[in-house]
Amino acid sequence: MDAAEFELFQRSVRQAAADHTADALDAALADLGWPDALSDDPYTAVSILFPVQGAANAISSALDQVVANGLGLGPWTGAVVLPRLGTSTVPGTAVDDGLSVRGLGTRALARSDTVFVVATADPGDSCTVAAVAVADLRIEPVRGMDPDLDLVQVNGDGVGCRRQTDSPASAWRTSVVLARLAVSYEMLGAAQAMLALAREHALDRVQYGGPISRFQAVRHRLADTLVAIEAAAAVADATRQAPSPELATLAKSLAGESALTAARHCQQVLAGIGFTAEHAFHRYFRRMLLLDQLFGSAHALTAELGEKLLRSRALPALLPLDDPVTTGTRAR
Amino acid sequence: MDLAAFRKGLDDWLAEHDRDLAPEHEGLGTLDERVAQLAKVKRRCFDAGWMRWGWPERVGGLAGSPILRAYLGEALTARDIVEPDVYSMTEVLAPTMIDFAATELAAEVVPRLLRGDEIWCQGFSEPGTGSNLASLACRATRTDGGWRVTGQKVWTSYAQYASHCVLLTRTGTQESAHHGITALFVDMDSAGITVRPLRTMHGSDEFSEVFFDDVAVPFERTLGEVDQGWAVAMDLLPYERSTSLWHRCAYLQRRLERLLAIVPSGVLGAAEVGDAAQRLIALRARSRATQYRLAGGEQLGPETSIDKMLLSTAEQAVMDLAARGLSPEVLIRDDAPSERWRAEYLYSRAASIYGGTTEIQRNIIARRLLDLGDDR
Repeated sequence: MDAAEFELFQRSVRQAAADHTADALDAALADLGWPDALSDDPYTAVSILFPVQGAANAISSALDQVVANGLGLGPWTGAVVLPRLGTSTVPGTAVDDGLSVRGLGTRALARSDTVFVVATADPGDSCTVAAVAVADLRIEPVRGMDPDLDLVQVNGDGVGCRRQTDSPASAWRTSVVLARLAVSYEMLGAAQAMLALAREHALDRVQYGGPISRFQAVRHRLADTLVAIEAAAAVADATRQAPSPELATLAKSLAGESALTAARHCQQVLAGIGFTAEHAFHRYFRRMLLLDQLFGSAHALTAELGEKLLRSRALPALLPLDDPVTTGTRAR
Repeated sequence: MDLAAFRKGLDDWLAEHDRDLAPEHEGLGTLDERVAQLAKVKRRCFDAGWMRWGWPERVGGLAGSPILRAYLGEALTARDIVEPDVYSMTEVLAPTMIDFAATELAAEVVPRLLRGDEIWCQGFSEPGTGSNLASLACRATRTDGGWRVTGQKVWTSYAQYASHCVLLTRTGTQESAHHGITALFVDMDSAGITVRPLRTMHGSDEFSEVFFDDVAVPFERTLGEVDQGWAVAMDLLPYERSTSLWHRCAYLQRRLERLLAIVPSGVLGAAEVGDAAQRLIALRARSRATQYRLAGGEQLGPETSIDKMLLSTAEQAVMDLAARGLSPEVLIRDDAPSERWRAEYLYSRAASIYGGTTEIQRNIIARRLLDLGDDR
């Protein structure tokens, strides 16, 4: 793809995510060749789609494809079982009588008859990528906090495999790095959308003879929101440019933190109207709460980092001054 | 010279000369000691070439990307060779002189700053002019023989050591606001200048009041155009939030590392440690992107207010952590390393005040980046 083609591709994907959601978005992404882009340069593909998906409050099965890509499954449009809420550990455990499965599924699962489950016999050990019949799993639709997200709970015991391949544990780690970056970008997109809603409201809403945007109490909340978003975006971009498990963890944690900050300030600025179901704010708020818990929450990852630092009594040498654009290893 | 070659060369050179580059004082040292240490290190680095890379040849530099300057300051602060505070004046004032001083003047004076022969100060704030810089009143009057300056500046860092001052003066009417300001490069040994150092709460005479009583300044010392000094100020302020901010970030990392190494087990919780470290890493990611924008020739502007806000929150988070983790050192011990933690903790309180308060940064972000319109 030359620069002009890449530009067009990028614009088309962004337009698709802004215009479509669910099946229509999956179909549009397949038409545009996003799954191929994902397998060519996963970090760039993720950074193109997910911010817009977050900003549009859209859903797709792209996250399944991202996890599958990390596992080396190639361009894949089927379903993958995601880790349980709040964790990034593999959803499957290999026991004597088959697989035990505890995880979440996206809408891709609803239309598949086979789903991939990553399982391990021992945490940290090599993992197995098992193809499992959806019919052998207990699938329960989730309404919960964000019914629009179309999540399902996936459970199974003594599940048999149709076929399986062994992968190094690093394959799952790669999936987690990519998935954390994807969800980070999605949360940042959602946070930007919340900020845009609150900004627009502040400029439109007139009190005391003028827009409330002239009050510092309002302006400063919005400024703090932008600072939080930009801080997290800097780490997400650094992760895209030179991915590593440490950076992806930080990106996810900071994106969660910044989305929480954005939600708090923007809801306060939106005040009454933002508390109604008629206003779009609550959809972003709900989505943000769920996304924060996928592949590790800001709260848990921050504490995890702190424990690691207290244990090692050292800071990891992250983000050398070198130009991330020329030194980054984009491909896996 | 690219960054990899520069880093390799500099790291080797620093390792080779670590004994004679290290400060002689223990802990933070007095301000006199820190100033002398910086002069020594700049001189050595200039003579060996390191201090000249990243600066234009017309001011005694060896050319190359400003990224090299970012790495030099990082390497020196991360090894505890110099403190980032006094050093920062070089990174703030030299670029402004290069941008606005007459070619001959810049060629004459900038090398002296880079070589550590001189320290310069920056005369911006006044007793009646803090956040509202455009209201400044220190007057420069045009006479046949040059400018005559009368007025007062305050919070002028290192003025008692400075040979020169980049001074903002009022040349228009008081109502002309930012349209009637002129920047001058003033010799601090001129007749009529009085410097009165102010003692800070962290125990250092870091800044001063500076009084100007009919001080003569030649016209050739005008920086930029007459009545266009606002452009000089707007050019300078982002430099406070770029290279020198990267140096300060490296220094904070060094201090957090030290804290992690010596904090007694069980005193600090995982969440607070993770939070401070995360803030610091976010600052580093943001500032690194800024270094590359600067190196790419981009004009830095109001977006650097975000960098400054991230610095102040990260600095206070790290030092709050230090105060909780090392409470005996910060509160009741009087040995040199403890004095250092105490001074650094107290100094961190100023991080949300100097260089434009957090509230002013928020105002800039709201108006310039979020386009929220006027606030009145």
